[in-house]
Amino acid sequence: MAENSYWTGSEKYLCDPQLAQAFHMARTLGMPLLIEGEPGTGKTELPIHYAENQNLDLFVYPVGSKSNVEQFVARFDHVKYLRDSQIEILNAQRAEKGLESRLSTGGRNPELLGDYVAKGPAAQSYASPNSVLLIDEIDKAPREFPNDLLYALSHRKFIMPESGEEVAVSEQDMPAIVITSNREQELPTAFKGRCIYHYIHFPDKEVMAQIIEKHHPDVNDGVVKVALDIFYHLRRLGLERAPTTREILNWLKYVKDHKPDEAIRRIEGLEGIGALIKTQADMERVSRMLGTDPGQFSMN
Amino acid sequence: MLSGLPEYFRNHGLKTDVRTLLLLRRAMERGLVTTLGDLYNVLKGIVVKEPEDMGPFTKAYYGYFLNIEVKYGQSLEDAILRSQTFQKWKDSKLQEDDAETSVSLDDLVNQFLDEVHLTSYDIKEVISGRELFDKNDADQADEPSEQDGETESVERQLEKMADYSDISLQELLERLEKIKKQQKDKHGGGSHWVGTGGISPFGHGGAAKNGIRVGGAGGGKMARKVMGDKNFFPIDRDALLNDNNVDAALASIKGVIEESAIEKLDVPLTIKTGLKRGGLFIPELSSEKNEELKVIVLIDNGGYSMSPYIRTVQNLFRKMKTRFAHDLETFYFHNTIYDNVYKDERRTQRLPVENLVDYDKNYRVFFIGDAAMAPYELSGQSVESLQSITKKFKKCVWLNPEPLRYWPGTYTIQAIKQIVPMYPLTPHGIERAVRKMNSRISTSN
Repeated sequence: MAENSYWTGSEKYLCDPQLAQAFHMARTLGMPLLIEGEPGTGKTELPIHYAENQNLDLFVYPVGSKSNVEQFVARFDHVKYLRDSQIEILNAQRAEKGLESRLSTGGRNPELLGDYVAKGPAAQSYASPNSVLLIDEIDKAPREFPNDLLYALSHRKFIMPESGEEVAVSEQDMPAIVITSNREQELPTAFKGRCIYHYIHFPDKEVMAQIIEKHHPDVNDGVVKVALDIFYHLRRLGLERAPTTREILNWLKYVKDHKPDEAIRRIEGLEGIGALIKTQADMERVSRMLGTDPGQFSMN
Repeated sequence: MLSGLPEYFRNHGLKTDVRTLLLLRRAMERGLVTTLGDLYNVLKGIVVKEPEDMGPFTKAYYGYFLNIEVKYGQSLEDAILRSQTFQKWKDSKLQEDDAETSVSLDDLVNQFLDEVHLTSYDIKEVISGRELFDKNDADQADEPSEQDGETESVERQLEKMADYSDISLQELLERLEKIKKQQKDKHGGGSHWVGTGGISPFGHGGAAKNGIRVGGAGGGKMARKVMGDKNFFPIDRDALLNDNNVDAALASIKGVIEESAIEKLDVPLTIKTGLKRGGLFIPELSSEKNEELKVIVLIDNGGYSMSPYIRTVQNLFRKMKTRFAHDLETFYFHNTIYDNVYKDERRTQRLPVENLVDYDKNYRVFFIGDAAMAPYELSGQSVESLQSITKKFKKCVWLNPEPLRYWPGTYTIQAIKQIVPMYPLTPHGIERAVRKMNSRISTSN
């Protein structure tokens, strides 16, 4: 039976109850969980921490603009196959000439096509029961990629190229599949229909404080509070690229080696603000506001 | 069972069909649905496919399962307060409590929401939390049970929530169906449907685990948060553009891009790969992603009538710009366009209309304004300017924040509508405008 207990997060990862429920539901139904949300809300972290916490195998497929199903499932290594079959002939010729030395095929047998199939993360995770499969940032993929996955997702099996070998998984052993997307492009309806959907909302102040606690347990509470005030103030400004969880964590990492007083002074002085603000226009805007009203950033 | 569900939800603009029901059934078989809150969560996972769906979904859910209609422009809280469902629930609730404690309406709504959104996860949490509590306080074992009888105003009571995991699927479905029927029948049926058995429609008083209590933090976690969360104010796709539905609008405006992807024969690539193949030419297609989507936005930022919308409109197009790489030009005007538009919001840097029409003809033009002004302000020159713009840019639309019902009564709206196709500034209106833009022949209507 698949591991489908209700998982609520680990010491290092705070899992929002809504997300935990959606994840549980997806695993129980044996469907992939599609997580969307602003960048930096911990979409990718979920399966990583889940796998680590539950001691499961994790397979990751980072999607890029050139991704295709071959990379994801399996591809047939034609080059190796060609080389090995040539070696067979060479070895035969050598034997004819009475030469002793032989070339090796590295244990692969050209008769067995399966030896030349290089399995991708999907096939690997389907082959190992109860694993976790992360398909990261699927919105970066070419348009047809999600559609190419449809069959595999709903029939729970892949057919290996050339060898014809079938990698299938029972519904019980179905890996927990998590797909993340930043909504940079719309995913096809048919694809979404095969997933359980969850949208992560940006955490509010209290939740964010808890998240920070998990990542930097040693940072002084006062420091966190001041940093959070500024952080949410910046988010409210309507910047082109609003700072996210990842950014505030980096920022705190930058100041955390200092003593609390010193750290607060640095935060209020907006030192290392480059960790939060990512575009020139935003930077100008923030410094303009600083110039007119420096007190605005101190405390509210 | 629940056969009307897909259609009901479709009427709210959601994509539901028979597969939704099949999935729901599977979820029930796996024991995922044991309370009304579970049903909400499971359906949400199945039906909601983008954040914009949340509003319509919540609306449809309350309408279908609780018979609470959220009317246009109404918040969920209002709708609940006005609904019969809530009335009945309240009556039976007060009866049970012997009306000894006067609870404020707000608290009642909180309790109602708590019960509606109570999930089996919460029950588990509560039960396990309680066990822990009992263990820790072994010597005071008697006290907690005594406390059960009292009512503490701070604590919220999750009344009679039942753990129905032992009920068979068939029974569950039948009960659901029965509840639905009773809800439809407003006169009859009476007390039981959301009554004595607690809100859980699968409820039957007997099997309920009575009086499990949760401290303020546990039980109240949903209610106010749910109400305070803007996502739970059902977003109306026909409501005027505002900060809450700007994402829905963005989703509609995206249509501009998707429709414009075309496949093209890539001649150089075909030749190249053909030569490599030794003379076997197979046509290579390349999908031409329309990277050069160009948009001109003309915003009427004069006068008070427009001021509420300007920020939202800018927000919308700014979001659009960060989402898709393309050219976006914004110009401003007041009331209508005479011979100039302005590059800045304060309307100091002029750009003559004749220069504006020098832009590439592939630009799509969005006018945003209420088009309401004194008739004499819409002069012949202005009409000419507008006409020269629509003549140059075949893809022009006017988005108007003025409520649709005022359109026929405003002369200038009617006049401008003759020149530029006009749509309301709502997510739906924008969607229609975009569809109009993408249709081949763009004639004014």
